[in-house]
Amino acid sequence: MRKNKPVFVGKQTDMGTMEQKLNEELKQLQREIEVCEAEQDSYVRSISLQHGEALRGVLQTLYNKKEKGDGTLKKDVSKLITDITDTEKDLRRQTNISGITLTECCVKTLEKNERKTIQQYRLTGHCCFLSFQVEFALVDIQDSDSSLQKITDLNVILDGAEFKDLCAFVSRVEETKSLFLFFRTLRLFSERCKQRSCTLQYFKEKYPDVVRLPEGCRSEVMMIQSPKLPGCTMSIFWKISVSKEGVVQPKLELLMKMPEQAQKMDTNNVMETAPEAFRSLLKIFGVEASIESLIKSVCF
Amino acid sequence: MLEKAGTAGQEKQKQDHLKELHAAILTLRAKRERLFAETAALKDLKDKLDQGLPLEEEETDDFMQLEQFLLKSRLMQLKDLQTVYHLIGGYNLIESKQGKSVCVSFRTAFEGMYLETYNLEMDLRRTVQISRHNIPPCVPLERLAKEHLQADFKAFLEILSLHLNALAGRKQQVLLIKELIGTVEIIERNQLCNFLVFMCKIQEETEAAVLCTLEYGDLTQCLPTRVTIESENKTLAESPQWKKNQVLLMESPVHSALLTMRKVGSIV
Repeated sequence: MRKNKPVFVGKQTDMGTMEQKLNEELKQLQREIEVCEAEQDSYVRSISLQHGEALRGVLQTLYNKKEKGDGTLKKDVSKLITDITDTEKDLRRQTNISGITLTECCVKTLEKNERKTIQQYRLTGHCCFLSFQVEFALVDIQDSDSSLQKITDLNVILDGAEFKDLCAFVSRVEETKSLFLFFRTLRLFSERCKQRSCTLQYFKEKYPDVVRLPEGCRSEVMMIQSPKLPGCTMSIFWKISVSKEGVVQPKLELLMKMPEQAQKMDTNNVMETAPEAFRSLLKIFGVEASIESLIKSVCF
Repeated sequence: MLEKAGTAGQEKQKQDHLKELHAAILTLRAKRERLFAETAALKDLKDKLDQGLPLEEEETDDFMQLEQFLLKSRLMQLKDLQTVYHLIGGYNLIESKQGKSVCVSFRTAFEGMYLETYNLEMDLRRTVQISRHNIPPCVPLERLAKEHLQADFKAFLEILSLHLNALAGRKQQVLLIKELIGTVEIIERNQLCNFLVFMCKIQEETEAAVLCTLEYGDLTQCLPTRVTIESENKTLAESPQWKKNQVLLMESPVHSALLTMRKVGSIV
């Protein structure tokens, strides 16, 4: 194809219009390029979203080639692989520091112009053994002298028995669009849940005849029952409450059950005083030591 | 003679400029053609994958393009994840090339609004030490560093982030009071935003007002630890409605509490 050679015109006005035409063509080309790049981006995102798993094998071959120092890799391919490994490293660190593992992430650009960008995010992941799905829209407005970033439309879906007490908190978070607060609280809450689960599991393994976990180690309840005193049970309710504003607080309560004959012999009124005594124990010795002493008291 | 030379010079400049524009156009046209071809190949690839067709490895040129696209797509996926971590409250950590120092960015946000970003640079050579930062002086950075930095890096980042986010949140609440409830007058506040005194009007026409003092004892929280209600009208201050309002001010952010109070008619 023969490219058009530029024609130079001597007169001023003609040069002016020519310049204008050229500038317009330049702008038009730039616009077309932007549209094309955006289209490429969306194809690329769509491919990785729908076929990521299948293509992992192909990528692995490339990574291996690079590691072996295979000279057949082109420079830009090699650079891409370096960028990928660097970003993967940063992500591992982010996961480690934040305690949050993201397994899926979908980004969709809903609106984009010079000043304003609106993107929609859908995340799936987990924190310890608590799973979540979060959807939100992010509005980004760039003015000449200021910039603004705001979350609109926040939706949170939580999975797991531990979450039955979080409804009020989640509603509030969705209402106020407090994304940071949600994840901060989620991490704290799941740490406490993990602590609880480990402690319950520990006691179950140490005192298998005395300790019962009727709902498993991820529940709130631990029952202490001496084989020598059937019918007398001590139930510890270990609740982890989360206030509407995200304050996480473990609350432990002791409940005692005794059969009628034992109650008649309860001259010290243990049944009524035990819960209060337990609360005092907790304040002085903390959770683990208090539970241990309770268990030991029935293990005579 | 000089005049003629002058206009000739101007003309030459204009011609050169036109030449430049033309060259730029040719470059962009070439780029556009290349992009169009790439995008078409990409769409082709996507269609093949969507239909479950096998990818032909023999066409080496196509396969090399495929490699590039796959890598680009993987990189984009990873970059998206990175963005998300920053959006949900992660820290942006940038290590210097030899690992000698690290720069950490702390984002703050309150109720969906992203606020200030603070930066901290740490020297990692012998022990971990803070070299530069733009953390406001009212935040007890030195004390936090002393307590946590050497022992547990992660804990240090977390507690500092808590302080910064709480400060940003308290500051934002005061801004929101001014924005959303114009009738409330802020009497006193401080840099750390842990002490706030404001006056609420009870009724339109009268001078009746209630003075509320909020003290934030826990600097990692956006909620006060103590609320005091005072008024010239002692019965008002002691009324059950204002006892409720006191609780409201303890349990929700100031601007939300005030909005509720206005809704139920406690204030105007």
